Amino acid sequence: MREVISTGNELAAKAAVEAGARFFGGYPITPSSEVMHESSDLLPKVGGVCIQMEDEIAGISAALGASMTGVKSYTATSGPGISLKAEQIGLGFIAEIPLVIINVMRGGPSTGLPTRVSQADIGQAQYPTHGDYASITLCAGSLTECYTQTVRAFNLAEKYMTPVFMLLDETIGHMHGKADLPDIEEIEASIVDREKFHGDPSDYKPYRAEMNKPAVLNPMFEGYKYHITGLHHGDEGFPTEDAEQCEFNIERLVGKINTVHLENGGLDDLPDYEEIDLDDADVCIIAYGSIALGAYEAVKKLRSEGIKAGLFRPIMLWPSPIKRLEELGKKFENRIMVTELNMGQYSKEIERVIKRNDFTTLLKANGRPIAPAEMVAKVKEMM
Amino acid sequence: MRHTLRFTGVGGQGVLLAGEIMAACKIKNGGFGLKTATYTSQVRGGATVVDITLDDDEIRYPYANEGEIDFMLSVADVSYQQFKNGVKLGGIIVVDPNLVHPTDEDRKKWTIHEIPIITIAKEEVGNVITQSVVALAITNTMTGVLPEQSLVETMLSKVPAKVHEANKKAYALGKAYALKAMD
Repeated sequence: MREVISTGNELAAKAAVEAGARFFGGYPITPSSEVMHESSDLLPKVGGVCIQMEDEIAGISAALGASMTGVKSYTATSGPGISLKAEQIGLGFIAEIPLVIINVMRGGPSTGLPTRVSQADIGQAQYPTHGDYASITLCAGSLTECYTQTVRAFNLAEKYMTPVFMLLDETIGHMHGKADLPDIEEIEASIVDREKFHGDPSDYKPYRAEMNKPAVLNPMFEGYKYHITGLHHGDEGFPTEDAEQCEFNIERLVGKINTVHLENGGLDDLPDYEEIDLDDADVCIIAYGSIALGAYEAVKKLRSEGIKAGLFRPIMLWPSPIKRLEELGKKFENRIMVTELNMGQYSKEIERVIKRNDFTTLLKANGRPIAPAEMVAKVKEMM
Repeated sequence: MRHTLRFTGVGGQGVLLAGEIMAACKIKNGGFGLKTATYTSQVRGGATVVDITLDDDEIRYPYANEGEIDFMLSVADVSYQQFKNGVKLGGIIVVDPNLVHPTDEDRKKWTIHEIPIITIAKEEVGNVITQSVVALAITNTMTGVLPEQSLVETMLSKVPAKVHEANKKAYALGKAYALKAMD
């Protein structure tokens, strides 16, 4: 273990570099700027590049281009920046370019509440751009997770050849305190690198992937020729409108994430959620990101008063932990309280999965956190 | 034992640094410390509040629970008025009397000390930037939450070497004023 004193934003940058990223392209925006600031310090020290482009669109474009050459790349922004990057995120999805997109959430829509906390971009992370695809979205619930989940985001991006969202929020991004990080040897041993085709260049068909498998894109400039486009494409990446091919493309893009997640019980060996005191609980609080920090204390307080509360904290928001949520729905029925800093974006997912809408929500969208005392009061109302 | 402290000022005054130093010092001494800042999108002049939570046990929720704050220090009236009610009844509040104006009602609710923090930094230390260290010294002298030598060492590790002497002086002055105020 390495004990460090830092902020969530700085830890995300540290994680990126230690996960092997060597290129950052972006444009600063509150409350994510420290990710770029720290990256500009760390990347040059390891031979990497951090570049501030003229705007957010150019930032993600540069990062996508770097990734096409085989360099692990990332960008960081906040909600308004994701809106600007939306078109290129779509290119990342269809062309299957690995990229980590760190979003430190603030109040919205539009420029919203620049310095204040929010979790209202989780819907945007699920569907950041037009068309059909499946998003992988991780959400840090502690300073330590700002590091560990960012490493995981890079590994998932490489494994599934796709943009991956790493969500922080203003609270957790700017919070300053202690984090216990895994030893660097442990991190290095966990690193996933994208697959490469090693055969004869004339046999190389980067996009001829089986159903639910990612494309195999060799780095540019190594003698393996192919085309990269946002248009639907065939085996070598050249545009096509062939009906069968287009249908296969979309089913594969969605299936390589959603179907694999369902069938394998996850996208990797790491937990998709955390559970606290749920075994003997009478009431289940569901919270993620910085709101879960207050929820831990609410559970403690409720238990000290004889109310058996427990916490379910999703770490991977998308795809959501459907099987476990179904079980929780059956076990707790309407004794569930979903609390989040938006008007119910994750609550809607819970409603969809557990197929009931009589559970309780504690929502806030004014840029302020939700205090443990508010959660305690709401749970007491339910009892 | 949990201690909750709050520093309030306006953007640009450097109240963030004092909070970071306190959290870091607690962690170095084997405990847990968290600092969060809430500020506005104004570049300068917006109300800023820094909450510092120190505990021997793990802390999760990083903000002060309103009504449970043990100690608050304020160097701007706009933020004093906005955030004072987080302090528990009977808690300690330190204000710079040139900038913050507590009401008679406030004085009944809390123990209010008046120390001209900015003037001390500007005129006695000779560097207004050291106000955060004057504030740090006052806070720790009045609350006793952290071992002093360790706090000074942590502080010195966070400021450039060329201003070490000025900051040591700022700490000593802050401590002296705090002791005098408590007399």
